[in-house]
Amino acid sequence: MVVKMMAAFRTPKRLNRSFAVSFILFAFLAVFGAFMALPLLYAVNNAFKPLDELFIFPPRFFVNNPTLDNFYDLIALMGNSWVPLSRYIANTLLITLIGTAGHILLASAAAYPLAKYNFLGSKALFSIVVLSLMFSGHVTAIPNYMVMSWLGWINSHASIIVPSLAFPLGLFLMKQFIEQLPTALLEAAKIDGASEYRIYWSIVMPNVKPAWLTLMILQFPALWGTDGGSFIYSENLKTLHYALGQITLGGIARAGVGAAVALILMVVPISLFIISQSSVIQTMATSGMKD
Amino acid sequence: MKPIAKRLFRSRTYNEQKALWGFMYVLPWLLGFLFFFLIPLLYSLQYSLSEIEANANGMTIKFIGFENFKEALTVNTSFNRILTESVIDMVVNVPLIVIFSLFLAVLLNQKFVGRGIARSIFFLPVILASGVIANLEAESLVQAINEQNATGGVFTTGTMELMTIMLNSGMNEDIVMYLMDAVERIYQIVSQSGVQILIFLAGIQTISPQLYEASKIEGATGYEAFWKITFPMVSPLILVNVIYTIIDSFSRNDMTTLIRETGFTSFNFGLSSAMAWIYFLVIMIILLISTYIISKRVFYQE
Repeated sequence: MVVKMMAAFRTPKRLNRSFAVSFILFAFLAVFGAFMALPLLYAVNNAFKPLDELFIFPPRFFVNNPTLDNFYDLIALMGNSWVPLSRYIANTLLITLIGTAGHILLASAAAYPLAKYNFLGSKALFSIVVLSLMFSGHVTAIPNYMVMSWLGWINSHASIIVPSLAFPLGLFLMKQFIEQLPTALLEAAKIDGASEYRIYWSIVMPNVKPAWLTLMILQFPALWGTDGGSFIYSENLKTLHYALGQITLGGIARAGVGAAVALILMVVPISLFIISQSSVIQTMATSGMKD
Repeated sequence: MKPIAKRLFRSRTYNEQKALWGFMYVLPWLLGFLFFFLIPLLYSLQYSLSEIEANANGMTIKFIGFENFKEALTVNTSFNRILTESVIDMVVNVPLIVIFSLFLAVLLNQKFVGRGIARSIFFLPVILASGVIANLEAESLVQAINEQNATGGVFTTGTMELMTIMLNSGMNEDIVMYLMDAVERIYQIVSQSGVQILIFLAGIQTISPQLYEASKIEGATGYEAFWKITFPMVSPLILVNVIYTIIDSFSRNDMTTLIRETGFTSFNFGLSSAMAWIYFLVIMIILLISTYIISKRVFYQE
């Protein structure tokens, strides 16, 4: 039954799709979608609730008298802080942008030869990568710190950015995608005289655009949400997430501001997701491959 | 077959050249991987075999062989139970998540009004869980509400009431518990499928539209197109998703909590490392078996 529904949905033209099937699928998506959207709606509503509504019992889902008080309070609080807010924003942007872009470049550059060429140790290398993914991160916390201090990167942005560049999942994901590209395409480019760099940049990367956009969507929120962990101590190097997190530590009295903070921190990754999703659709309209 | 043919027809130096190029491309990534993933991993292996004490001079590491492993498996009261529970949980959840996310990815790849919004909604749990909100909620608002509201938050209230109603109406307790468990698992699966849906979506989008056109001209039905084109073309990504789902489960399962608490609350870092290595080995065995099964069916173009 489910498979049949899928099949009906799969056909590119609307000719075969009955109204009933569309309705069932829409209902299915709507029910699960509503489930997923509830926490977000709750967060948005909370951000606009005045203080008395935040603590109403039993808690209400929707806001009755929306107000911007929480945001004004937040601005007032940030104005008093010792390090200007713009500094925190700059730190977060630096970490997130370099970390995400660098990760995509390094992971795809490493994935291309691993997927398409056989050289000594390439298979072994890839197995180690996959196995290392399986290891729980908490245990490596102390050795990680020791490596950082040996490199002299404690209390610098490099301690966050550089490890994120080499995160194994990206390589794994990119390799699986590049492997699916027809080798004939790369050979054709080679015969036409393209250099390895050219093949990587003008053939491989455009053809796996959905893959690296996915990688971006994965990496961005992770770095955006970083609070510097145990590597950054100086206040002027801390991230936006850390600074806003500190504000909410004021306890119950800061509940309203906390809700505003949560909303602000969420907006950026969600907008990035929506933008990149629409550009995935655009690529596919133009990048049909001729075999 | 392909590498053999290449070796026959091309000169040796060209192969060497290619190997060199390949290595150059891998190198920057490899260095990072070595420093930040491999070296810490090897250190933790050393820790698992030693007794560690922090003192004024830093750390003293004393080699004690497999004592830590023995302690984890025989002395520690909760390790065995939590290990079995989290492994069973993984074996049940992973296939369900992968199938569900493939199904949703196929749905979300269709053209319909509001597709972008639908995709974003299913990706929301990933953003919400990525630490952006989690720490904040724990501190202020949700905590405060939860303290007031003994039934525990807004979202569980509904199911709790439903459970009481069903129990009061004289239903068998086992059946009620089973239903509740199923409902909770469905929610778990949907909320953990965000990234997997995205990976499958990206996979479906790299399939050349010509394949579908050709199959349509030949008279294939949508059902056939799915099983003969979409499914084989995304099959390499099934492995990615299995692995991603396993990694993802680390962030919220009891085993990780136990490992962290042993390491950082009771400061028994050797024991904590040993636990992590046992867990790692168990997962590796599961993964090897599933990789073996999956890779038999995976299809690569050419």
